[in-house]
Formats: sequence, structure tokens, C-alpha cells
Amino acid sequence: MGMIYLMLIVSLCIAAFFLLFFLWATKNGQFDDDYTPSVRMLFEDEPKLKDE
Amino acid sequence: MDICYHCGDQLPSPSIPFDHKVFCCQGCANVYSLLNSKALKDFYQFEKTPGIKPNKGRSDKYQFLDIPEIRARYIQYEDEEIARVKFSLPSIHCSSCIYLLENLAKINTHVLTSQVHFAKKEATIVFDRNAMSLSEIADLLQFIGYEPDFGRKATNHGIQKSFLLKIGLAGFAFGSIMLWSAPDYFGITLDNLSFRNFTAYLSFIVSLPVFLYSANAYYLSAFKAIRSRSINLDVPITLGILALYAQSTYQIFTQQGPGYMDSFAGFIFFLLIGKWFQNRTYQSLSFDRDYSSYFPVAINRISLNGLEIIPIEQLKEGDRIQVRNEEIIPCDSTLVSDEAKIDFSFVTGESALVTKKKGDLIYAGGKLQGLSIELSVKSVTNRSHLTQLWNETKDKKASNKLIRYQDRISRYFLLILMLVALLSGIIWTFIDPSKIMTVIVSILIVACPCALALSSPFTLGNTLSVLGKNGLYLKNTSVVEALSEITTVIFDKTGTLTDPLAYSVHFSDNKMTKERWRVLTELSSHSTHPLSRIIHQHVKAENTSIHLVNFCEHKGKGIEGSFDGHQYRLGSSTFIGLTAKNVRNGTVFFSLDGEVIQEIQVTSAFRAEIPQLLKQLSTKRIFVLSGDDDKDLPELISLGFLSEQCFFKQEPKDKAAFIAGRQKNGEKVLMLGDGLNDVGALGTANVGVALSEDMFRFTPSSDAILDAKHFQLLARFFQVSNYAKVVLKVCLGFSITYNLIGLSFAVSASLSPIVAAILMPLSSITVVFLSSTLIHFKYWRGIE
Repeated sequence: MGMIYLMLIVSLCIAAFFLLFFLWATKNGQFDDDYTPSVRMLFEDEPKLKDE
Repeated sequence: MDICYHCGDQLPSPSIPFDHKVFCCQGCANVYSLLNSKALKDFYQFEKTPGIKPNKGRSDKYQFLDIPEIRARYIQYEDEEIARVKFSLPSIHCSSCIYLLENLAKINTHVLTSQVHFAKKEATIVFDRNAMSLSEIADLLQFIGYEPDFGRKATNHGIQKSFLLKIGLAGFAFGSIMLWSAPDYFGITLDNLSFRNFTAYLSFIVSLPVFLYSANAYYLSAFKAIRSRSINLDVPITLGILALYAQSTYQIFTQQGPGYMDSFAGFIFFLLIGKWFQNRTYQSLSFDRDYSSYFPVAINRISLNGLEIIPIEQLKEGDRIQVRNEEIIPCDSTLVSDEAKIDFSFVTGESALVTKKKGDLIYAGGKLQGLSIELSVKSVTNRSHLTQLWNETKDKKASNKLIRYQDRISRYFLLILMLVALLSGIIWTFIDPSKIMTVIVSILIVACPCALALSSPFTLGNTLSVLGKNGLYLKNTSVVEALSEITTVIFDKTGTLTDPLAYSVHFSDNKMTKERWRVLTELSSHSTHPLSRIIHQHVKAENTSIHLVNFCEHKGKGIEGSFDGHQYRLGSSTFIGLTAKNVRNGTVFFSLDGEVIQEIQVTSAFRAEIPQLLKQLSTKRIFVLSGDDDKDLPELISLGFLSEQCFFKQEPKDKAAFIAGRQKNGEKVLMLGDGLNDVGALGTANVGVALSEDMFRFTPSSDAILDAKHFQLLARFFQVSNYAKVVLKVCLGFSITYNLIGLSFAVSASLSPIVAAILMPLSSITVVFLSSTLIHFKYWRGIE
């Protein structure tokens, strides 16, 4: 029976970790703009021309 | 290939060839060559013709940005080396725009980084402050076609973030408590009492932040409502929350059971999601612009030491100011220069230029065309003729706020709830007095109108997005309700019923010959004046051009040329040499050797969809309020209006008063207008709709913005809002049924945590599902 206490606390800790991660992401502005980054990742960097 | 490679506009003749491509103007070609030279050719890869035709601007247009006071308004951060600025760029419209703007650093090496927020149409630019001034950045943006808009106020983002935090917390608590309540759900009773107590205390701890933080907006709203002696839906919700939480806490600490903490957290979680859904609006549109976003930020003042640029707020009565071509007259003032041609199209909707003479009073809001002029300030901007109207109606709207359907229901709801609680309390004193408290508390818990509270945001929120897909952008969901109650529709004439982009041209045709038509065609093709271009569009199909000599264009007056020894002139009455008689705006004269042979009248054309729209709106009362005289009355009647429906010579104040009069008769009024002069009327009406040809440009403050392309759908919008109301009633019916089922459990004192935990999410999910499918299923193909 002692095991279930441990399991509960561990699962709560994992959930709490994700909550904190979510809070951090929100504060950090991860949800501010949900369109631009999806386009930005498609832009290719220009291949650098080597001097001849 | 007859569209511009850069902006996709129709090519004029002659077009501009460059690098094996064709362009409509030098501006577009310039941008192309700039991008080309900086190896930013990818711009043209993501979308076809992604560019924006750059506006020709004066080189010193943004000079005012370098005045320290004004600069400080836009700079977000600054240190010794770099500075960061955020510009609102309304022309951002596709992924190529993002590409170009985020690669600004390649175009100008003094730009360090730039980042675009597409939904808000903003760009944040970090630049080397010692090498580049703010005005140079604005110039660069203007050059590549993204003219900054200085009128938009930064959107408030703090509220949104804390909202997400609240939802996250509630979701966390909901999920966690459900996890250790699972045995209960399956009817497994654990004999181990210490474990049950342990999970109960854990539930209490986890739900504490939900109670204190996530739900706090409801307490506040309920408290405010009670203090102002009214009832809104938040009152029974708060009552339910408090009962639920108090009861659960009591059970946990007296070790009677786990309480209803899972229901409690889930309840808050669903409520918050509903609210979040309701608050999603159009970030890129701005409904609350006031006049300050229309007028310039800075003014050229003429002082003893020459010209100086000052912020508009520092303008004083009696100041001398200079206004240049294409600039807006910032305040009511008298003309000091000899003559000025002013375009009042945004104020009155009339596109023809108005000529003012020395000493005339010019109202704020017009745009100068032609040579720069000197003005003497009569009254400052915020007290001028037009903005005064703006200030007056701003407060009126708040008191005019409609009572939401939901709130009307919640009054009866609370009354019935109290009655049921009282009655069952009395009945239980006879059956088993020890259970009175349990019964009353469970009634409050189960009656908590969660599903009721969700039905409105989801139904109206879905309607909002359906309308938005079809070109009508509402400010918030309560406008949907207001829209369904409209009995009267009032149109502004110029710019609303007429299409500012379409013209009808009337020829007087008295002394024309084939040859003279050809001369007219040739002459009109050489002038850049808008009226001349419109005439050319009308005559070029039937007439071939002819070779003329001795061309001469007199800017803003007319154009002349010779053929076969005769001199032809095309232009205004004074240019032709007529003594100023009463000439209507938009009249162009065509003369041969000084004798008028043709009088051409250019007027804006009425929208073609009007007759059909009027038929569809037959159940509503219709009125037309026009600032002009009644010269268009015959045409309005031919379109299907009745003469008693049309009112002319209406000043902005008259329009607002007319609407207020209608409202006194109990009518609900929708006003459709487009210009600054409609602001008062739009503010007074129950629903003020601003019609806009280009939505991301300036629109007067309003409840909704209608894309002019979808003008003909107006009647459909009423149907959609009526349907939304039916859906809302169905959802309310469902949620009340659920509440009744719950009540029957509560009244018989058999509400267990498991029943509450099933009933509550089930009712919420049904309502959300029902409202979304009913609306989207009907309109998924558009609303026509």
C-alpha cells in the first residue's frame, strides 16, 4: 500500500512539472503569436558564396 | 502576363519593363531591383505577386520621428548602441511579407534584427542607433511598401497571459484530482481510511489556488453586480462555486469524504475556456480608434525662426502652420494662402476636390491636394468640428449598453433557485431535519449554471467566426445579439451606397464629331489627374487615339494640345476660361479654340447590389441619410428606395439625432456608414457598422467592420444572427434540462460526488458540442 502513496506523489510531481513548464512558456511569450513562427521556419538561409 | 510582377495590379500602358519582367510603376520596379541586388529573390517564391505598390512619399515625411518627445513614444528600449522600436504595418498580408520584413538586415546593414507578429501586423526592429535614425527606418519601410501606421495603440497583452495562467492552473487541478478520485468513479470503496484522507487533503491543497486565483474574476463580477443592484449570470455561478468549495472543504476536514473538488476544478476549467473562446477577437482590426489615429502625429509650425516640427498636442489657437501635399488638415483653421484644393472624401464621402479661397474656414479632416498652404489655427484638434462629435458619442455608448439575453435569464434562474431551495428545506424539516443543510447546499451546487454560462460564449463565438469568414467583423459577441434584434437599417449615401471606386460618366454631347472624340481620348490619356483617367477609361474602348502636338499639362487645372491647327483644352471651368458660375463638383469641360464643346460629369456610381439587397431587407425599415443635396433622389428611387425614406442635407449631428429619435420609438437601429462624419451616428446606433474598402486602414470607431466586397450579404447577416439566437435558445434549453435532472438528485438528498462529477462535464460538453455543430454545420459552405 505504501507504494501507491509514492506513485501518487510522483505523478503529482510530474504534473506539477508540466504545469510549471506551461506557466514559464506562457510568461515567456510562447503563445503570443501562433502563426509567424510556422512560416519563419520555412525560410532558407542563403548559401554563402565563396570568394573565388 | 498583364499584371505587375511585384504587386499584381493591372498593367497600365505603357508598363515598365525591367529585368525581363513587367511592372506597373517605377516604385514596384525599384523595390524589385533592391530585393534583387540584396539576394532576397525568395520574396517572389512564396506567393505570386506578393508585393505592395509603394506610395510615393516625400523624403521628409517621417522627420517628426526624430523629435525626442515623439521618438520616445515609439522606442521600446534603448542603450548606448542599439534601440528597439515596434511599428504597426497594416499592409502585412502574406508569408512573403514576413520573409521580406525579417530580412531587413540584408537590405540595410544598420538594422540588426527584425521580427514580425503576423496576426497583429506588427514588426519589432532592433537597429544601430548611432548609425540610423528612426525616421530612416520608417522611410525604408515606406520604400518597400510597408507604410507604418502611427495611430494604432498597442494591444493589451497582459490580460491574455494571466488568463492562460488561470486556465492552466484549473486544468492541472482538474486532471490531478480526477486521477486519485478514479477508484470512486468505478465504485471501488477503499477500506484504507488513511489513504482516503490523504487524497482528500491533497485535493484540498491542489484546488486552493484554483479557488483563490483562477476563479477570482467571477467573485469580482458578482460582487459588482450585487452592489449596483442587478443580477448577472456570475451571481448564481459564484453562489455555486462558494457552496461547492465550502461543502467540500467541510467534508474533507471532518473526514466525511473526498468532497466535490474534482467537480469544482473542472467547473472552473470549463468556465474559463468558455470565456477565453468568447474573448478571442480580431487582433489585426481596431474597433476603438479615436480621431487621434486619423490625424498626423506632428505638425509643421511656422515660427519666427522658420519651420519647426511640433507634436500635434502642442498646437495652440492662432498658430501659423504649414500643410503640404497629401497631408491632412489637422484642425479647424482659416486659409492664409491664396487658394487650396482639398479632398474631403473621408469626411463627406464626396471624392471631388473642394476649392477654398483665402480667408475661408477649413474644417479638420480634409486632405490637401497640390501645392503646400499656410493656415492659421482656429481651434485645436480635439475641439474641432468633427472630433467634438467623437468626444460626445464616446460616453453615450457606455450607458446604451444592452442587457444580454443571458443576464435576463439569470434573474429568473436565481429566483427559481431560491424558491426550490426554500421549498425543499421546508419539506425536509418534516422528513429528516438532519439533512436540511446537505439538501440546500447540494441544490446550490448542482444548479450552478455552468452549461448555461457556456452556451452563450460558444454559440455567439462560433457565429462571430462564421460572420468573420464572410466579411463582417464584429467587435465582440454581444454584437451578434444586438444584430438579431435590429428593426431599422439606416444607410449613409456617399461612400456607402455609392462605390468610391466606381464612377459613372455623363456626357452632354452637343458638338462632338468622330474626330473630336479621338482628340478627347488622346488628351485624357496624357493627364495623371484622377478625373481625366476616369474619362479615358470610358472613351478609350470606342475611339482610337490620334496624334496631337503642343502638349501642355497644367497641374491641377487641365491639359491642352493642338490638332490640325486647332487648340483643344480639357479641364476645369477656369482653365477653359469660363467665368465662375455654379459648377458642380466633378465637372470637366472640353473646349475647341475657347468654345465649350462638351461638358463631362463624373459622379460616383451606386453599388449594383442595392436593388437586390433592398428586396431582401423588406421586413426592416430602411432610411437613407445623406449629407448632400437631393440631386441623386431620382436615382435612389430607381434603385428601389421611396422618397420618404431619403433625407438630404444631414449634418453629422442631424444623423445622430435622427437615430436617437427612431430609438425613442422603440426601434433598434443599424447604421451603415463609412466616414468621419458618420462617427456620431455609428456611436448612437444600436449597431454601428463601418463599411470599409480596405479594412486594415483607418475605420471610424464602430461595433463592426464590413468589408465592402461583401456589401450584398447584409441581409444574410441578419439571418445568421437570428439563427444564432435560435441555437442559443436550444442550448439554454439543454442546460436547464441538465440542471433539472441534477436538482431532482439534490432535492432527494442523493447527490453523490460521482453524480456531480459526471453530470457537470457532461452538460458542459453537450452544450459546447451542440452550439458548435449547429452553427458550423449550417454555414460551413459560406452563408449565401
